[in-house]
Amino acid sequence: MTAAGYPGVSYLRLLLMTLPQIAIAATAFLALTVDLATLRKASLRTRWRVGTLIACAGCAGAILLLFLYPQYGSFGDGMLIANPLTRVVQTALLVLAAFTALLSFDAVFTSHIGEYLAVILFATTGMMFLVASQNFLLIFISLELLSLSLYILAAFNKSSRQSAEGALKYFLFGGMSAAFLLFGISLLYGLTGSINLVEINRAIQGRPLTPMLAVALVMTVTGFGFKVAAVPFHLWAPDAYQGAPTPSGAFIASSSKVASFFVFAQVMLVGLAAGQGSGAWHNSKAGWAPVIVAVAALSMILGNLAAIVQTSVRRLLAYSAVGHAGYMLLGILAQSAWGVRALIYYVITYALAAIGAFGVLAALEAGDNVGVDEIPDLAGLSRRAPVLSFCMLIFFLSLAGIPPLAGFFGKFYLFSAALAGENSGPLWLVVLAIAMSAISLYYYLRVVKQIYVGEPAAAAPPMKISRTVTATLCVIALLVVVLGCAPNLLVGWIGSAMHLP
Amino acid sequence: MYLALFIFFAVLCVAGALNLLLQRHPINSALSLIVVMTSLAVLYLLLGAQFLAAVQVIVYSGAIMVLFTFVIMLLNAGREEHTRGSRAAFLVGFPGAAVLLALLVQIFLSARGHLAQARLGEYVTATHTLSSVLFRDLLLPFEVTSVLILIAILGAVALARKEP
Repeated sequence: MTAAGYPGVSYLRLLLMTLPQIAIAATAFLALTVDLATLRKASLRTRWRVGTLIACAGCAGAILLLFLYPQYGSFGDGMLIANPLTRVVQTALLVLAAFTALLSFDAVFTSHIGEYLAVILFATTGMMFLVASQNFLLIFISLELLSLSLYILAAFNKSSRQSAEGALKYFLFGGMSAAFLLFGISLLYGLTGSINLVEINRAIQGRPLTPMLAVALVMTVTGFGFKVAAVPFHLWAPDAYQGAPTPSGAFIASSSKVASFFVFAQVMLVGLAAGQGSGAWHNSKAGWAPVIVAVAALSMILGNLAAIVQTSVRRLLAYSAVGHAGYMLLGILAQSAWGVRALIYYVITYALAAIGAFGVLAALEAGDNVGVDEIPDLAGLSRRAPVLSFCMLIFFLSLAGIPPLAGFFGKFYLFSAALAGENSGPLWLVVLAIAMSAISLYYYLRVVKQIYVGEPAAAAPPMKISRTVTATLCVIALLVVVLGCAPNLLVGWIGSAMHLP
Repeated sequence: MYLALFIFFAVLCVAGALNLLLQRHPINSALSLIVVMTSLAVLYLLLGAQFLAAVQVIVYSGAIMVLFTFVIMLLNAGREEHTRGSRAAFLVGFPGAAVLLALLVQIFLSARGHLAQARLGEYVTATHTLSSVLFRDLLLPFEVTSVLILIAILGAVALARKEP
């Protein structure tokens, strides 16, 4: 660490650069205080209404701050980086947090609404720091802040044993993987004398892949592989997705994926890209490529094949998330600006579809409705809740990658980025990815078929769904369609943020 | 002299950690943890991090261990029981961990030259240096850690509170 680094620190500049994060943290306190101090006697519905309003206002305020007063630059040893690209990702995170708050509306799994919304907002604060740092110290601390919040969110349904079980598994695996990540970081620090990603990259430039560096790489990949639920670090995902209260599941499946993938790509491409592979000198492929290839291939195969046999919708979504993590690793493997652009587009559109799918499940258990977990229970949903069913159709088709929805263009950009350029990933991996997307179509359509073709149980009345949730789901579905029909809206924005032609 | 101290406390630390795992009774494990924490404090001291050493003793060996022992006493935790699953984990886990350890030791020994060197000795870190690192260079991580601790407290209260 540069103890004698920069002589003077402008605290004002730090304050200005972290203003959006501070705004979100302040909103979390506000939501907590208002709920605990003034609404103790109020009905659950009123409390959700006020809390959600505060949370959404905070997210909107932070987005406004990001756009009206952009503070580009870097602060101290890569500790805080603000550029147009981090702004894109931070905006996506804030929008997803607001969606999560809106989808939680009317949920019945907890009466601690202030705490619940505060944890979501604190997790968002952590993620905003996570994506804006190129320094391992802050990356690790904000990653822990995020993980801790997610464990709490997963355990929030205290009347359910499944919730406790899923959260405990998530917590134990998470603690273990954090230890691996820390071990990897400390080895990198020992090898390079720095925790700044840029410095690390400079120090390992041109160095052969020594066993020590290989160990550091594998440990680091283990740590992040857990966060993105890639095989073989995915074991927590099905239980956590199934057990967690549905809005928490939406948050775990969407927002945290966006932040984790962005920071994973950042660490691999900014910090460790220069570590030479065992290949010849002119082969500039990074040393970690074989590890990522193995993890990606395993994730695609296992995630998609395991999803076929699931009977629980949530577990199906969990295994399909593992499969999607495999595709997304292709974007890192491409080692190019195009790959990063495709990865960010893919992960944002994937997050929208995933939060939407969980949102529909959340709506089915909110208020007086009985929750749905098994696929057969969804039979005939289209007759009981036509709007929700149509939204679910859009989300599932987008996840499967059907044109003209966003999921198709995500896959298109990702696979073409993986094939283009001199650092292209192996061809067989892309072929495997395409084959696996075809398989994924089967299990997504199985759910859709139940919803549209299945016969509902005899006495199944139409469902009462809160208007807020329906409206939110429609907005998300609209986003998925619009970003699919006009992918250039988002791709162009990301590209211009990265100064791509 | 410093090397002898280092070897002694490093061995003590590892022995304490092994004992922690092998003990069947939680209170013995907790007491072994104190040995581990305190030997670590001596290692920090040898590297010139006397503030960290003091904090290690006060916070970990002191406060946290008192909490641990209180919890064990209050829960009246008995001996750990072995089930079929735990025995299987034992049978698979120990060889697995041993292989991993052997691999790491081999790599560490072969790559000694690549690692930066640390020297043992009598260093004194001035409080001034420490504070300038903590509140200037690492101000942002320091502040984010405060949010991290806050969320831990919030979560513990929210999850442990009795539902009405």
